[in-house]
Amino acid sequence: MTINLARQRLARLDPRTRLFLGGACLCAVLVASGLEVLGIQSAMILLLLLTTGLATKWARSMRLLWPTMAMVFVVVYLSFDFWQAIISCAKLFNLLTVSFIFFNKISPQEMADALRKMHVPYSFSFILTTAMRYVPLIGQKTRNIMDAQLSRGIDLRFRPRNFKNIMALLVPLTVQSFMLSEQLGMAMEMRGFARAGRTIRRAYYLKPVDYMAIVVSSISLAAFTCWQMGWLR
Amino acid sequence: METVIELHDIRFKYDTDDWVLNGIDLSIGPAEYVLVCGANGSGKSTLGYLLNGLIPHFMEGEFIGNVMVDGNDTRNLTVADLAEMVGLVLQNPEAQLFNATVAEDIAFGLESLGLDAGVIDARLAQVVRSLHIDHLLDRSPTELSGGEKRLAAIAAVLALEPSVVVLDEPFADLDWDGVELVRRQLRDLHQTGKTVIVIEQRLESVLNEASRCIILENGKVFFDGAPAKGKTILSERQLIPNYPERMPRTVTDERPILAVQNLHFRVNGEEILKDISFKIKKGESVALIGRNGAGKTTLIKHFNALLRPHAGSVLVLGEDVRRKRINDLAANVGLSFQNPNDQFFKLRVDEELRTGPKLVGKVDEKWIDNVFKIFELDELLDRSPYRLSEGEKKRVGLASIFSMQPPVVVLDEPTAGQDGHFKEALVHFLRMLEDFGFTLIIVTHDFEFARAATDRWIVLEEGKVVGDGPPRLFAEKMHATYGESAINHKECVKQHDDKFGKAAIG
Repeated sequence: MTINLARQRLARLDPRTRLFLGGACLCAVLVASGLEVLGIQSAMILLLLLTTGLATKWARSMRLLWPTMAMVFVVVYLSFDFWQAIISCAKLFNLLTVSFIFFNKISPQEMADALRKMHVPYSFSFILTTAMRYVPLIGQKTRNIMDAQLSRGIDLRFRPRNFKNIMALLVPLTVQSFMLSEQLGMAMEMRGFARAGRTIRRAYYLKPVDYMAIVVSSISLAAFTCWQMGWLR
Repeated sequence: METVIELHDIRFKYDTDDWVLNGIDLSIGPAEYVLVCGANGSGKSTLGYLLNGLIPHFMEGEFIGNVMVDGNDTRNLTVADLAEMVGLVLQNPEAQLFNATVAEDIAFGLESLGLDAGVIDARLAQVVRSLHIDHLLDRSPTELSGGEKRLAAIAAVLALEPSVVVLDEPFADLDWDGVELVRRQLRDLHQTGKTVIVIEQRLESVLNEASRCIILENGKVFFDGAPAKGKTILSERQLIPNYPERMPRTVTDERPILAVQNLHFRVNGEEILKDISFKIKKGESVALIGRNGAGKTTLIKHFNALLRPHAGSVLVLGEDVRRKRINDLAANVGLSFQNPNDQFFKLRVDEELRTGPKLVGKVDEKWIDNVFKIFELDELLDRSPYRLSEGEKKRVGLASIFSMQPPVVVLDEPTAGQDGHFKEALVHFLRMLEDFGFTLIIVTHDFEFARAATDRWIVLEEGKVVGDGPPRLFAEKMHATYGESAINHKECVKQHDDKFGKAAIG
């Protein structure tokens, strides 16, 4: 019941509110400095992951990011000390997880619409959101190429001895990416991307709950920033 | 005569290539239904790009002549201006779908025209109803099957209600239901007074409907006239394949080379393959037939362990594929996918063909020379695979699998987007390869091709095998009315229970 309610509440908010909340959460992670504070943030973020039903998907997506975090730990540990390395890793973990929740709770189209409503130039918001949309498409292309090459006996598993085979993945992927970008430009032009006077199909209205969420999160972020910066002393 | 499109002495070439279009003069009137056809590389798609202004505004190359749409020279209008007048459905639907959901993709063009939300919703509802794709509205285009993508791309253009609709190979990935749907839609459009121009290789789908047929050859108009006369010329020039009669082959070796036993496979909890069982004997030629989304490609990916079943098993040469690595299995099961661009990474065709044999340790130069000859690649060996025509790329893709000499070869839609000459040649290639002892499994929607190239059809529907037997048992039943079951499984089993079906195999 709690889980369902949390999901519904997030989905009910206007995309502009979700965009603002996402930005506020990222700022809160960036200004956090102490290990205790970062730990509390991690606990809150993990709780949010559980209540929004994204835990499994998050665990899958993080598999590729653990090596990055390990690398950050080693570099900071060698440059500074152990505790600084732990703090850097905790901050990176929180940033990645907040970004993951944010991008899963706002579709590229909602993001584009929100930015347009906020008077961001359409060409800019379109580039941003199209880049977001093309991530799964390129992922699909990569899988297709890997399937085709594996079927010809080319081992593309992540092993040092397979390094020489990487060209079998990179060459078709690069060529197809160029072809895709050209075709995307064509398809956009053909459906009037460059025309003036574009309308939005979906209507978005800021409701009292949106205003409340924006005000509460703004005050909380301001207070948290002042506390972390030591301006309250 | 009133015209909507006029082409005056058109010549066009990409960069340094030869002229792709070389002196085209055409007039197309309102409410005409025109079929544009020709061999691969004859300039059909390039002609389509001219009609909506992609040439000269988007495509780089040398362009001579004038294209007039509704009396306006396309040089003086932008592609965006022309969007309201000429709608073009691209050959590759993937390229045309760039939004997060199908609904947003269809609405994109309508938003560009500055229409109100109410009008957009009304047009969207109308077009998805007519193409029976209501259920796809909230899905991401990346999740759709090839046929579903094609229908969504067509819907995105039809929603704009342009006075001229140009469709580049609209039937390429569609099953018989999809073909019928699109054909009906085009007929309705034509009857409402729109100009419909269809660029197509599956000629039988349009020839009887069109009011005019234009055949291109080497960038020139070779024929322009009535479809009935065009049909004779197309047959003479092998653009409508004239397959040789197939004499049923008897396989003497009774041992199965591939056995699928009670296979189940799920994606996100949804069962895609349900209790699939069959056996294929060494040297058999089998077609896997089914509608878009029936699970054909998912099934063949189990043959070389690209996918692992949730229950059941797949045995190749008596060994469970789950115990083997995919790249080791390549020596026994060669799988050729639809898009040859997915596999090319060498600078020359001959290097591309030798890659597989080297990796599986079976470099037999005599056999590789044979493959060059069988697929007529001798003159292409030193060229880059990426610089070939689509038909040539397909031949290189298929040849690269056969060069590895796997006993089982699986071909996924080998005729999609190919001209009649290629299809006829492919039947000859495959018959030669049958004589070398290959076991062939072909996934296809093309019944005529399947009848000419195989002795046995396995019919899949909604993830289940609903029929298994010689083609003559299914050929008429497969042309079922839209929405009906492809075949009446119960009736078939009753009539031929000793010859096919899971009962006989399992």
